[in-house]
Amino acid sequence: MSVLVLSPWNGRISLRLHRHALVVAALLLVALIGVSVASLMSGSYPLSLRGVWQTLTGNPPEEIAQTVLWEFRFPRTIVSAVAGALFGLSGAILQYVTRNPLADPSLVGVSQGAGLAVVSAIVLFPEMNLVWRPLLAFAGALIVAALIQSIAMQRTGGATMRFILTGIGVAAFIAAITNTMLTYGDIDQAQAALGWLAGSIHAVGWPEVWSLTLCLAILTPGLIWSARYLSALRLGPEVSIGLGVPIRAARIGMITLSVALAAFAVAAVGPLGFVGLVAPHLARRLAYSGVGQHLLLTALTGALMVGLADFIGRIAFAPVQIPAGILTAILGVPVFLLLILKTQSTRQL
Amino acid sequence: MTKAGWFGLPALLAALILAFGWHIAVGAKTVPLHVVLEALVAYDKSNFDHVVVTDLRLPRAVYAVLVGAALAVAGALMQGVTRNPLAEPGVLGLLTGASFVVVMAVGYFQVIDPAFIPLLAALGAAVTAALVWGIAAAAPGGSTPLTLVLAGAAITGFLAAFISLAHLLDQESFDRLRVWLTGTLAGRSTDVLFWALPWLIGGLLLALLLARQVTALAMGDETAVGLGVDVARVKMLAMLSVIALTAAAVAIAGPMAFVGLVIPHVARIIVGADYRAIVPVSAVLGAVYLLVVDIAARMVLAPIEVSTGIVTALLGAPFFVWLVRARL
Repeated sequence: MSVLVLSPWNGRISLRLHRHALVVAALLLVALIGVSVASLMSGSYPLSLRGVWQTLTGNPPEEIAQTVLWEFRFPRTIVSAVAGALFGLSGAILQYVTRNPLADPSLVGVSQGAGLAVVSAIVLFPEMNLVWRPLLAFAGALIVAALIQSIAMQRTGGATMRFILTGIGVAAFIAAITNTMLTYGDIDQAQAALGWLAGSIHAVGWPEVWSLTLCLAILTPGLIWSARYLSALRLGPEVSIGLGVPIRAARIGMITLSVALAAFAVAAVGPLGFVGLVAPHLARRLAYSGVGQHLLLTALTGALMVGLADFIGRIAFAPVQIPAGILTAILGVPVFLLLILKTQSTRQL
Repeated sequence: MTKAGWFGLPALLAALILAFGWHIAVGAKTVPLHVVLEALVAYDKSNFDHVVVTDLRLPRAVYAVLVGAALAVAGALMQGVTRNPLAEPGVLGLLTGASFVVVMAVGYFQVIDPAFIPLLAALGAAVTAALVWGIAAAAPGGSTPLTLVLAGAAITGFLAAFISLAHLLDQESFDRLRVWLTGTLAGRSTDVLFWALPWLIGGLLLALLLARQVTALAMGDETAVGLGVDVARVKMLAMLSVIALTAAAVAIAGPMAFVGLVIPHVARIIVGADYRAIVPVSAVLGAVYLLVVDIAARMVLAPIEVSTGIVTALLGAPFFVWLVRARL
């Protein structure tokens, strides 16, 4: 295995880079750009590759291309990629911290918590400013995460499978509350909320682009800082303590980070299922690497998944748009089942 | 049967009758209990209250009794045969499988003959059951509560995505089924009830006949073999009963989650480990439970009515979490 070691600033930070993983990351990036460009080109107003390039560089072939590309397709493409990356990262962190290969924000109720907060806002306070959505989603998700943690952890201090089962129960409960909200709400608001819950990306615009970019900018330092703790935590609590990790604080910090990543993504595009579950596993299959690079690969894989799901949903049954959430579920479940079949840790129960 | 069982049965039946009357009495217009009784015993066509009771409320109360009993007994059998405290038609995906097939048949192929609805539901439930158990059994460690629940959750998510997809592609045909898909006792035609009834009665009778062997199975496969039970055959028959009961419940009321989870556990607390008592007590308790839940569904946000399936989920999901905590 060829490994590059970079240690700038007199070795204050050193990076171990696996060459194979770097190649895979580059390939994923190329694929992501390919999907994004295809996504920019296609739609009810098709554009040629040249047309896309001309529009993006400032001299559109037609006036309408300017609007279509800048107002609709470009924000949508960016948001789907960034949200996918956030979901993937959230799932990866959750899997490291809980040492559970099946952990996923949409499976254990974190996404549903964020969803409930946003749906309540849509139904109860329809005039509310969109700016508050990410924060509300974060609050909702955090409450659910705390709840699951406190229920699942009390007895044996970290039985991972109980965490998942508790999450499934809590997710069902929250989904029922969300459904009540929808029944209670006005039909128009309920429709809006339903579209959002299905995980549709077609309604996004520049505000979502900026909010997601801001989130990414805020959370990335946390991610980089967290890589070292994650690499300790995944070896188990005993080893982590031996390595001098304050595990309680690290765990809470990491889970909060994971919840934040998922919540901000949910606030923008709705609760897309299974991305957080599948992306980390695909990334691990694609290349062997350390935690830091694995996070990078996961982000790229997640971005590619959601970008692809959105693209397929847009063109497969045009003019009907299939929400990306439906496609991620259809693609994600078979992978999930494969994981159940292969996972050794199901024996832990 | 234990002493508590003998005392309990009349009490349960009294509770059933009381809940039944209460269920009919409440609604947009409250009908006094004695009028309810009059309407049932001495029907007077010119009395508006009597018409409301027999035409609108009585069918709904009957549905609640039948669906509650069917789901509770299905849950009891599943928990007994698999020795899995979390087994339930909803959690393991059988309800979604049954409703998926019904939705597709009604929406895409315009099947409207009510005779086929329970049959289609049974088909869906059977295929889903085979899939979920197949996946769970193939997983390392075998079909533990965890693998079964995970496989059930996965299949549920998968089929739900397809239902949403079908709904998006053909709004008109599927809109009619939207409310039904959340689990509701409102506005079902009596034709479906008529066709679902044979399945329900067959399933219940089979469950009662199997109860003795299921008691042995609940103590473990080896014990059951030692007691002279043909394990494979009993499991197969119990599954048949579960599928028939699930199909009848789904045909009448759509997927109503967690009813089959809660009730058998309560029944077990009351009557102990003997399935000859658990099965009938579950049936009665399930009926009472669903009647009360349906009253709540109509009253809590009145005049808006919440789908009964939503309320059963609201009550059942915390119970599921508690079971995970207490039993696993």
